[in-house]
Amino acid sequence: MPHRKHGRRVLQIRHVDAGSCNGCEQELTACTGPAYDWQHLGLDLVASPRHADALLVTGPMSDTMARPLNHVYSAIPQPKIVIAFGDCAAGCGVFQHAYGVRGGLDTADLTIPGCPPEPVQAIKALRTWMTTLTDPETEPKDSGRR
Amino acid sequence: MSQDWIDHNIAHKQAGDELLSLTATRDGQVRATWMNPGDGRQTSYATSVIDNHFPSLTRALPEVAWDEREIHDLFGFVPQGHPDLRPLVRTPRWPSEFFPLGAKPIRCPAWLDVEPDNPARTVQGDGITIMKVGPTHAGIIESGHFVFSLMGENILHLDIHLFQNHRGVEAILEDQPIANAVPIVSRVCAGDTVSHQTNWAMAVENLAQFVPDPLLSLRRVILLESERVLSHLNDLAQIPAGVGFQRAHQQALAIKECWQQGLKQLFGHRLLFDTVKPGWAAGADPDALLMLIRRLRQQWTPWRTLVEGHHGFHDRMTGVGVVKPHDAERFGAHGVVARAAGQARDVRSVHALYADMRPACILGQGGDVKARFDVRLGELEESLRLLEASAMRLRNENESPLRRWTVPDTLSGRAVVFTESPHGLNVHDITLDCGRIARYHIRAGTYRHWPLLAQAMPGNTVADFPLINKSFELCYSCTDR
Repeated sequence: MPHRKHGRRVLQIRHVDAGSCNGCEQELTACTGPAYDWQHLGLDLVASPRHADALLVTGPMSDTMARPLNHVYSAIPQPKIVIAFGDCAAGCGVFQHAYGVRGGLDTADLTIPGCPPEPVQAIKALRTWMTTLTDPETEPKDSGRR
Repeated sequence: MSQDWIDHNIAHKQAGDELLSLTATRDGQVRATWMNPGDGRQTSYATSVIDNHFPSLTRALPEVAWDEREIHDLFGFVPQGHPDLRPLVRTPRWPSEFFPLGAKPIRCPAWLDVEPDNPARTVQGDGITIMKVGPTHAGIIESGHFVFSLMGENILHLDIHLFQNHRGVEAILEDQPIANAVPIVSRVCAGDTVSHQTNWAMAVENLAQFVPDPLLSLRRVILLESERVLSHLNDLAQIPAGVGFQRAHQQALAIKECWQQGLKQLFGHRLLFDTVKPGWAAGADPDALLMLIRRLRQQWTPWRTLVEGHHGFHDRMTGVGVVKPHDAERFGAHGVVARAAGQARDVRSVHALYADMRPACILGQGGDVKARFDVRLGELEESLRLLEASAMRLRNENESPLRRWTVPDTLSGRAVVFTESPHGLNVHDITLDCGRIARYHIRAGTYRHWPLLAQAMPGNTVADFPLINKSFELCYSCTDR
């Protein structure tokens, strides 16, 4: 990728499953695998929220996972970004009205639709959106909202 | 009466029968359904819930410990004599009067403002360390909470807290008209989706006395075996990752991707969602399928040589995470976990879909990680053989289109249906009432393996846990529902 004055070149992502059927997880794994290798596009999943720029959520947000999800969100340094990955997290999945779920995220900075999103579409959505972001090194942006 | 209930169920276990389901209904019945693995014959028993209690089977049949705890949590019925009635699905956030499948349903509970963690069972004593892992994890992993009691590196006890992803799938299926169920059933679990969809389709067809024609059955076998190949490739990719064997891990992910792209081309979805409905199944061009299998074999054969020739990898897997045949039997294991412990349990042998297929039952020895790895290697090749045979048959079949069938809109009755999913015996216990779902119970392939995983942990070191876990490759989503 050529260096851009505007836009983010890298995004370190922490993933949390909040009630997913594991379809989104399988496709996320494919994104990191040899066929798509999203690391060389500046995207990566990190093990600690302390290393993350973004929180990527899958699933319709089960009540049991809501608090652990918030703990992870709080542990990510500002400025931080929330990504709703897949229809369930976006609030339009099939489990929307089950008693045990809250029906997706209230708000997200980026929504990637699909059930599950396919790797090509997911990476394209992330890359396109990254070009619209301000590089935090030049202009810190507080997008800490949910 | 209650002694009859216990005696009947014990007699079936002693006769070597397979427990298909043990669940309750809102109106206060607890029902068990057994299947004779020789001829597929089913027998159901019921006992009434009296004063909110029913006799527990757990002391005699430890495999139903979780089933009864689940009934306790979701229906509020107390299994009398159960040795461990800690909450399984419930969390401290659930209002005490909230029983989602109980007689008086509450659709939107007012969750209490407390943390969701249930108290853990740990080992007490000098020098013991408690290590908590999850529910969020440092990777792409489903949500589960594990509490280890450790002495140095050694695991003394593992307490597993699942149901972090409990959505209420069985409740949301209730009252749905038949036509609405497919997208929900399809998404109970992405790993076993075809198996779930096929169960639903078979239940509706059984109740309507619709007999699938050979073409429809053949399409379903192709989808079920394609799913097994996908799932086994995933698991075979993850086990080397558990020991840092990156080359085998990455190459297997590449093979899995080749298969997924093929599935997308053939059936329109990379994970095979929405490919089976009552009276219907997605079809594929047999020549394209054969071509895909040939392409897969070109990568699979050298990969198999690589992993089978790596002695360090084999050393690392041997003797780790052992499931003893006695425990497999006692805890009602099936699928790869049972077969790796030398137990020939595969319901494809009595399944109508496979009537003239005769899938070979691949058995392992030792019940350790290596046995589970080896069984999957063998089963994947067996699935490819079945796929090739099915594709050849499809090519030779007359080009008759699938018979059109409309589901009667006033179906009623109960059907207990099952398939051999990649994770083992997957059972749906379904009751329809005038074209609507009255009760939908899902007992997925991994459900009975979770307690067995905890059983296999003591004596191993904490660094073995990811490896053992990956070799069981248990699904959270269809367990939690």
